[in-house]
Amino acid sequence: MKLIKDKVAKLSFVALLVTVTAAMFYAPTASAHGEKSQAAFMRMRTIHWFDLNWSKDIVPVNDTMTISGKFHVFAGWPETVDKPEVSFLNIGIPGPVFIRQGSWIGGQLVPRSVSLELGETYEFKVLLKARRPGDWHIHTMMNVQGGGPIIGPGKWVTVTGSMGSFVNPVTTLLGDTIDLETYNLSNVYFWHAFWYGLGLAWLVYWVRRPVFVPRFLAVEAGKADSLISATDRKVAMGFAVATIGVVAFGMSSTNAAYPVTTPLQAGLIRGMKTIEMPVATVNVKVEDATYRVPGRAMQMTLTITNNGDSAVRLGEFNTASVRFLDPAVHEDETGYPDDLLAEEGLTVSDNSPLAPGTSRTVQVTASDAAWEVYRLADLIYDPDSRFAGLLFFFDEEGNRQMVTVDAPLIPSFI
Amino acid sequence: MSASQSAVRSRAEAVKVSRTFDWLIIFTLFFVVLGGYHIHYMLTGGDWDFWTDWKDRRLWVTVAPIVSITFPAAVQSMLWWRYRLPFGAVLCILGLLLGEWVNRYLNFWGWTYFPVNFCFPSNLMPGAIVLDVVLMLSGSMTVTAVLGGMAWGLLFYPGNWPIIAPLHVPVEYNGMMMTLADLQGYHYVRTGTPEYIRMVEKGTLRTFGKDVAPVSAFFSAFVSILIYFLWHFFGKWFNGTSFTQSA
Repeated sequence: MKLIKDKVAKLSFVALLVTVTAAMFYAPTASAHGEKSQAAFMRMRTIHWFDLNWSKDIVPVNDTMTISGKFHVFAGWPETVDKPEVSFLNIGIPGPVFIRQGSWIGGQLVPRSVSLELGETYEFKVLLKARRPGDWHIHTMMNVQGGGPIIGPGKWVTVTGSMGSFVNPVTTLLGDTIDLETYNLSNVYFWHAFWYGLGLAWLVYWVRRPVFVPRFLAVEAGKADSLISATDRKVAMGFAVATIGVVAFGMSSTNAAYPVTTPLQAGLIRGMKTIEMPVATVNVKVEDATYRVPGRAMQMTLTITNNGDSAVRLGEFNTASVRFLDPAVHEDETGYPDDLLAEEGLTVSDNSPLAPGTSRTVQVTASDAAWEVYRLADLIYDPDSRFAGLLFFFDEEGNRQMVTVDAPLIPSFI
Repeated sequence: MSASQSAVRSRAEAVKVSRTFDWLIIFTLFFVVLGGYHIHYMLTGGDWDFWTDWKDRRLWVTVAPIVSITFPAAVQSMLWWRYRLPFGAVLCILGLLLGEWVNRYLNFWGWTYFPVNFCFPSNLMPGAIVLDVVLMLSGSMTVTAVLGGMAWGLLFYPGNWPIIAPLHVPVEYNGMMMTLADLQGYHYVRTGTPEYIRMVEKGTLRTFGKDVAPVSAFFSAFVSILIYFLWHFFGKWFNGTSFTQSA
């Protein structure tokens, strides 16, 4: 017997040692959210995030920051993804390193799921309160039922301070202010410890005497009834009565302590307020589009018609949260994440002001390493090889108008 | 020592070996049940057990007892019919709760920082004690299924209410009313758990006003009876020796 015990102890120690050693040698930090792995056509043709602003880069614990901006629900939503009829404005962070103090679409608080309309543009804001120190990659995100998470751009934000000082005060409708971080915790521990103790007592009552071998032999010998004594029956009844009594007492005392409780709240919010975008006076027709694999560049032939009353120039192409800019027309001043910004990534064969009432066919090239880094080039392997995005045109006074494009994409391997 | 000789040389040594065997088996059984039952319950009860904002008065009350009476029924079958030991259900719940608490504390809180008051497990112990007692007093699988299974379903909600009631206190938040549990779900961001996958307060049970929990509990109790029968037989089959080769 001693030999067996020694062997078990030895093997357990070796297993523990192997586990600890393995964890020491390789335990990398997971810091991103798999945004690059999401199918490119899904990022290009579902939700387009723009005019984003992360209010702070460094936030102390207990302090707040906001992420605000707009998102356009693309009219050419792919058939392979469910429509955003049930969606949830989420935030992509590694666990609750921030708490979400509020999230709004069109000024309406959205703690629940919402219904979004294709082709519409919405304004949003998310208010976050810093909870855990560290460098965190914070993404905008829209979860779509049947479609999955549609992740937007992410930016690194540093939280400073100590999580131990984090508080989350909430005032209930009964007027009590509680700290939601620790509220009800001692009650949870008490009841679980109590019931675990009672269960353990029941187990100990039975295992304090011989358990398996003699009882098995008795059952096999047809003496099973002798194994349960009158005392056992009394003790069992005591346990049952105590259990039911404690449950009844717990129920009634809880109802007395908390006379006002409400059911969990759930439901879909419809009729979200959209942004009344000005009617685009620029019309764009995509003649063809190719993605040149060796050059990491997408080339489009566009016929642009200006039906407005002022001359316009193409300043930005935004697709899958990557922004390609023509610096001669438009420069970013919002602190947009560097890895998603191609400040000189947009070239137009003729980007002179397009006069009102005129039309021009141009070659537009969007080139940057982001095509590879963000795996947008993988679009050519997607089941629906179309690209889409937002084009932003600017007039001489800096007024902007947005035009969506959506067309097939042909890869070029030479 | 020949094959016909005993491995022990005295009664005292036989008793000692028997007790060592008891502890080895109980230790092993406890952790095997813990592992199997925990995985089973996470896969079938899952989010209903993980989060306070899933612990509603309709679906949690209905689903949790039905999917959790499985292992207790099977282990009871083994321990009762072979050894006349009436602690199968309690052993299962002790294992499950230990596994769940380790998981919730080390993983949910320790790794991903969800506060424990948001992700504590459901309490299944009252039903387990009554299930074991009914089996012991009746000695009948049928009575245990009907009375014990019924008690299992009915005791679940009142057994948990003292723990979750404080989280059902209402709060006004930016112009909307929600419970503190709802607010926990909203505040403590779950990137992979959007609000719409929460299966709470759904269904057509709308004619009982606010008193839907007892109706849900009765339905759950009824199905628990059926599941008890099924898993009791699974336990009996699994515990048999018919599939082992005789020497």
